[in-house]
Amino acid sequence: MAGKPAQLPSKEASLFRHLVQNYESKQYKKGLKAAEQILKKHPTHGDTQAMKALILSNQSKHDEAFELCKLALKNAMKSNVCWHVYGLLWRQIKNYEEAMKAYKFALKLDPDSIQIQRDLAHLQVQVRDYQGFVQTRRTMLQAKPQVRQNWTALGVALHMSGDLSGAENVLQKYEETLKSTPPKSDIEHMEAVLYKNSIVAEDGDVSRALEHLESVYKMALDRTAVMEMKADYLLRLGRNEEAETAYRALLARNAERRDYYEALEKALGLDRTNSEDQQKLLEMFQSYAEKSERLDAARRLPLDFLEGDIFREHADKYLRRMFRKGVPSTFANLKQLYSDPAKKETLRELAESLLSEEPQTNGGAETGEANGSIDGTHKPARLDAKTTWQISINYYLAQHYDYYLSRDLAKAQQYIDKAISLNPSDTDYTYHMTRARIFKHLGAVDKASQAMNEAREMDLRDRYINTKGAKYQLRNNEHENATSTMGLFTRKEAVGGPLGDLVDMQCVWFITEDGESYLRQGKFSLALKRFKTVYDIFETWTDDQFDFHSFSLRKGMVRAYVDMIRWEDRLREHPFFSRAALSAIKIYLMLHDRPQLAQQSQMDGTNGENAAERKKAAKKARKEAEKAEAEKKAKVAKQSQPKADEEGSTKKEDPDPNGYELMKTEKPLEEAMKFLTPLLELSPKNIDGQIAGFEVYIRRKKYLPAVKCLLAIQQLEPDHPKCHEQGIRFRLALDSLSEPLPPKVKEVIDSSYLSQTSSKSLEECNEEHLETHQSSASHVQSVARLRSILKPGDEATKSKGAKDLQGTLSLDGIILEQAVDGLNLLNEIEAGSEAREAYLQAAQKRWTEATVFKAP
Amino acid sequence: MDIRLMRPSDIPQVQQTNITNLPENYFVKYYMYHALSWPQLSYVAVDVGRAVLVVLFSFNKTLQVSRPKKTPYDAPKVVGYVLAKMEEDPADGVQHGHITSLSVMRTHRRLGLAEKLMRQSQRAMFETYNAVYVSLHVRVSNIAALALYRDTLGFKVGGIEAKYYADGEDAYSMRMDLDYLREEALDAEDADGEGTVGQDEGGEVGSAGKTAEGSDAAKKKEKKRKVKVGRQLGVGELVERNESSHQAQANGTS
Ligand SMILES: CC(C)(COP(=O)(O)OP(=O)(O)OC[C@H]1O[C@@H](n2cnc3c(N)ncnc32)[C@H](O)[C@@H]1OP(=O)(O)O)[C@@H](O)C(=O)NCCC(=O)NCCS
Repeated sequence: MAGKPAQLPSKEASLFRHLVQNYESKQYKKGLKAAEQILKKHPTHGDTQAMKALILSNQSKHDEAFELCKLALKNAMKSNVCWHVYGLLWRQIKNYEEAMKAYKFALKLDPDSIQIQRDLAHLQVQVRDYQGFVQTRRTMLQAKPQVRQNWTALGVALHMSGDLSGAENVLQKYEETLKSTPPKSDIEHMEAVLYKNSIVAEDGDVSRALEHLESVYKMALDRTAVMEMKADYLLRLGRNEEAETAYRALLARNAERRDYYEALEKALGLDRTNSEDQQKLLEMFQSYAEKSERLDAARRLPLDFLEGDIFREHADKYLRRMFRKGVPSTFANLKQLYSDPAKKETLRELAESLLSEEPQTNGGAETGEANGSIDGTHKPARLDAKTTWQISINYYLAQHYDYYLSRDLAKAQQYIDKAISLNPSDTDYTYHMTRARIFKHLGAVDKASQAMNEAREMDLRDRYINTKGAKYQLRNNEHENATSTMGLFTRKEAVGGPLGDLVDMQCVWFITEDGESYLRQGKFSLALKRFKTVYDIFETWTDDQFDFHSFSLRKGMVRAYVDMIRWEDRLREHPFFSRAALSAIKIYLMLHDRPQLAQQSQMDGTNGENAAERKKAAKKARKEAEKAEAEKKAKVAKQSQPKADEEGSTKKEDPDPNGYELMKTEKPLEEAMKFLTPLLELSPKNIDGQIAGFEVYIRRKKYLPAVKCLLAIQQLEPDHPKCHEQGIRFRLALDSLSEPLPPKVKEVIDSSYLSQTSSKSLEECNEEHLETHQSSASHVQSVARLRSILKPGDEATKSKGAKDLQGTLSLDGIILEQAVDGLNLLNEIEAGSEAREAYLQAAQKRWTEATVFKAP
Repeated sequence: MDIRLMRPSDIPQVQQTNITNLPENYFVKYYMYHALSWPQLSYVAVDVGRAVLVVLFSFNKTLQVSRPKKTPYDAPKVVGYVLAKMEEDPADGVQHGHITSLSVMRTHRRLGLAEKLMRQSQRAMFETYNAVYVSLHVRVSNIAALALYRDTLGFKVGGIEAKYYADGEDAYSMRMDLDYLREEALDAEDADGEGTVGQDEGGEVGSAGKTAEGSDAAKKKEKKRKVKVGRQLGVGELVERNESSHQAQANGTS
């Protein structure tokens, strides 16, 4: 903050300098004191007011800060300090647009301020205003060309804006300004050189990139990177012999990297699909396998391309080796092969026949307990070769029969029970875990939860099984148990108990599972609260990059920085986000369709528990919070950390822990858009996103985007039941339009599959669809749903729907999840309790273990 | 299972793997701090073997598979990781690496993944930052990790840090010299003249010898130092500390 306290007398001027220093070193209390002292004598000194506001804002007193800063601006309209601070306040509350405006204003008053320029540049890259970023960075470079960071920064700006040759140019020019080559220990320099090289390659000039790379190759400190770059360039240039050498050198360093093997195959001109090449490939892999007993890739990869008898021969070898060693991840390592039915069969046959064999002991094949216990009190049991062998194979077969492509859960249970009975360890819970998993696949979420808990209790100090236990408890809707299970490993002193800590620590999986469980139970406000929490965590992850805009330039690790920017651009493509977003949208759609849900969720005893229970829970939570607070204070006192205290960043209590406020939204569809927009933008090929998109847009009467979603669905999966269902609903919506469609929309529709000009009614189309799709439960469900939409309240339609849904339960291909969908649909079409009873009975017969179909 | 460098886009998965396996957890920003400060040092083990068959709603077949819900956006399945850094202001003045966190999913243990992850990271510490040794802490009760570090990798116990962990457990502080990499590098050079590592040996050997003595004293000093664990190691703090010192600096010059 290069302030100009020109008007102040010298005593106050010096106080002002202290104030600035105090702010910079985060000594906020001192800073505020200094500000008060100045303001006592000069109550309208704008810059002082601004600095005070800045400190307040850093203490999260945003309203007060803004008020004061506005006053400061009134007193000192022409002060760059005030405008700069004003921008910083906006930045604090993440309104980057307003912040940039204020900075620009400040720059008009003080065009040479490097501080303000830097702050502006950081915001510009944060919001990806690359044109502005380039401009600001260019100005900064012109002001201080002797600083390397300024060159690198402009290079990055140009690169990100898409001007690759401009970027290269700038980086090149900097190198030319150097009088001597920097020493090799200058990591920053070497990094900039490699960065330039990667830009040349990205621009497509591979041979120039290679030439340049070779000139710096020996100097480079990041060996893996230069070796990979060189190998890649050589291969792309078709210099296969050299590429082969390069990839072999990489494999010598890391032989567990599939990309290297694939590239080596290319360099050797070998093709996995060509049977003549397969022998050569096999030899190549064997030569690597022989190098180390501990290597997996070279043994496992040939199984991908071998077929028939030779596949059998090698799979046999592979299985024997793994079973002998007792490697618990054997199935996980092989299941990819199951997409080929023949391989799937072969693997089963092999495993089953090996079961009756004795293992060949090739000397001391004694193995430790597969996973070992984390706890020193249990010595890993030494297993004899035969037991290891038996356990491994039974375990493999249990997983085989549990896998969705080869499922026979009764058999899976037999094998896992056998493995458990052979397992001599009290702490190795591996097989118990699979036992729980099989229960889950049977739909017995209660037994699964119990079984997983038993596994957990075998090794209480292992967080992995603790995590699994909590997950299974959530699947069985046991929130309290799950939370206290997790609590065994969270910070005891955390505000808000285990959940508070998990939110703090950004434990997305738990929050999402917890939300989904609430959603299943119809506790919408808590469910929504969780999904919103995930949304907020992603916001945090977006904001997290901010500090790195300056940090990375100082560190000089530019390639990693660029990687980070590109990752952040696509951050919400992550399935963590999509999953929470889809559920949140579902709730917002329900809120739109049935606004009364908002009150209900609050009144009906709160999401399920009765009022007394709620009170109790609230009391308990309060006590816990108090206790935690007291402990925290005690701790702070003990460690006497005045600094942390002074920052005044005590964690705020959540004003809406139950999500009631979220549910009260007047505009659920607009809220839904916050989740939907990133979903459609970043994951357009996620069909569930498109389906959700249609639902939102059709309710908002946005026909063009709705059509776009429909077309995307049709392209992704023309046979998807929603394709038919939403298509018909769209046509229905068009039929009841009060105004004609805009010509542009009409044009799109007319040129798509939606433009059926046939004379058939929507009902007829629907029934026709049923005829051709009778064997698919999901399609039958779509037809039934449509019927009741086309003829709402019609009794005949209801009973027809009920009958058809009942019928799906005896279809060959129906799976449990679909049967549950059917049950929910019965409610949706208001088929009545009798139909529901009948459905439940039939479902129970088919899924005897499934908890969902049992009476509550 | 692939072993490869950790990229920024792996971070959410790595963070989830960490919070699944270990009680010492960090914000995503702290992983970013590692990835953006020492991008060569952290590695992941990725399960690349998932069946890719999708037979969604092919109504004319008897088998209808609704799992797995495949989208092109499935994140890499991280089953293990090593998160590593360089010590920023080494108390002993000797450049060395530090293992912040290492874990492998239970379903994928005993495959040699942890060992391979560690070896990749150690080499990068040596090659890129000229690290003389690598240090780490481990719970005294953690038999598996101890066996890995001591027996398989060759770490030595340097001492015990009382109550190092939040729950009051003690830690062994362990370290391992990276000298063996220098020899490996020389061998590799001899073997194919590839010039794998461009370290200039002469001077290095000398300084490496010197550091060996100095580091013992440093170890003692280290023991006394109050060490922050887990999240207290503070992302924000680290980043911000640099930030403010930098600001002050910039202020001084401008
Ligand atoms: C410690 C841990 C990372 C080891 O991972 P891993 O991938 O299974 O280890 P590796 O397969 O690479 O093991 C290499 C060697 O370490 C030793 N080792 C590993 N696990 C062991 C166990 N449970 N018991 C005894 N020795 C063990 C063995 O010597 C092994 O070689 P071997 O399999 O040929 O006998 C893993 O158990 C883990 O994630 N634990 C929980 C998290 C944790 O404790 N992290 C360390 C914090 S400092």
